[in-house]
Amino acid sequence: MIERLFEIERLADGDSPVHRLDARVKIMVCFGAVVALVALPRGDALFPVALAFGILLALFLAISRIRLLAFAARVLAILPFGLSILVFQVLFPASPVHDPTVVVHLLPGLAVTAEALEVAVQLGVRFLLCLGFVILLSSTTRVQDLLTGARRLGLPSEFTLILGMMTRYLFVFGQMFVRISNALATRCFDPLDRALPYGYRLRETGYTLGTMFIRSYEQGERTYQAMLCRGYGKDAYLLVPRKPLLAAEWVVLGGCMAVVVGAPISALLLA
Amino acid sequence: MHIPDSFIPLSQAAVYWLIALVFIALALRWLRNEMSEEKVPLLAVLAAGVFALQAFNLPVTMGTSGHLVGGALVAILLGSPYAAVFILTLVLIVQGVLFGDGGITTMGANIVNMGVIGGFVGYYGYRALHGLTRNMYASAGVAAWLACLVPALCASVELWVAGTFPLVEGMIGMGVYHALIGVVEAGITVAVIALIANARPDILERAANLPAGAPA
Repeated sequence: MIERLFEIERLADGDSPVHRLDARVKIMVCFGAVVALVALPRGDALFPVALAFGILLALFLAISRIRLLAFAARVLAILPFGLSILVFQVLFPASPVHDPTVVVHLLPGLAVTAEALEVAVQLGVRFLLCLGFVILLSSTTRVQDLLTGARRLGLPSEFTLILGMMTRYLFVFGQMFVRISNALATRCFDPLDRALPYGYRLRETGYTLGTMFIRSYEQGERTYQAMLCRGYGKDAYLLVPRKPLLAAEWVVLGGCMAVVVGAPISALLLA
Repeated sequence: MHIPDSFIPLSQAAVYWLIALVFIALALRWLRNEMSEEKVPLLAVLAAGVFALQAFNLPVTMGTSGHLVGGALVAILLGSPYAAVFILTLVLIVQGVLFGDGGITTMGANIVNMGVIGGFVGYYGYRALHGLTRNMYASAGVAAWLACLVPALCASVELWVAGTFPLVEGMIGMGVYHALIGVVEAGITVAVIALIANARPDILERAANLPAGAPA
């Protein structure tokens, strides 16, 4: 997964009104939308809300000028586990009903019912929209901006410091991962190659991972000592200067929050 | 095993978040008391390394591939389940927020499953088996296998409570799949520990000398 980090940072490094928007606004809109989607009770009220949120997402996506293909590739990479749960749920409904409306008979005792499909649609629509918002956030905001934004929103200083150190080294180890993978590939070693004995593949991969672990442990020791030399102590904190939101950013925040809060409430009231 | 948003209702997700926060606070206390808080950079950098470890494709039987979770590995190598809680929490935050893998609301549940349950099962499984058999590698392997299987079973129970998953079929499905992946997790964990026992035995010795469990 880490090798995709560079692509994410490339996307986030772009320039557009969405990229320039303060990270605080983007974080609040994204998390707000996710919470609103999860909080909405199951029922027909979901569809108008999903439409409103979808339009909001599409609007942001269009303004950010992120290539749709790159965005779709990021969404697709995350889908498998969620989709497999949904498919499983359709085949083996979590809450079986007494007299189900059978849509397709697959095997004796195994059928796709309208009720199970409905639950799957309810979950799937929310899942996709939540994923869309989260991926839009990280595709338009650099890691460092996310961190300062989170700090300004009140994330405790200890966490910002730790997460900041971690994300900085993510890129170092991301490159190390790519180098090690290339080194393995140039030696024609593929851990999934079934021509090789299984034990051999497992051992070699294990040693590769062990090397990687030792390297990151030693990097950690070096970083720790280097930071001590620079005066790091248990009271160290990350300095994040205060920065008020611009008037335009307040307007965007207000508008988006009106959709995020207003759409579910009005849909529920109308339904 | 990363439960996505919307698969757990908000009220239940909040409960898992609360449990996760309690354990994160305990992990921070462990850092302060056992590791001395100054060593935080070491663990933060190591968390980035563990995230890279999870990127390697591992061969699971029948041509499919899997990935390391690493909870047991970290807990055994650093000598405390709280190390796993701390490191996997960081990894899961990055995965959830940057990659969209696992959700925002369900992040608490994911931390509880992979960090807390994985770390505690891995660490105490290892300690118990090691006390019984005196064989470091066998006990680490079995503990890593359990640390892969038990969180998966817990995740299926959570999804059943949430009403998105049938209990029996879900546990069989998730259980069989992760029992298979767990074999690879076990093999890799043993190989990594074997390498570290040769290359950096001091890491393992430090872990063995640490007192177990929560600081009083």
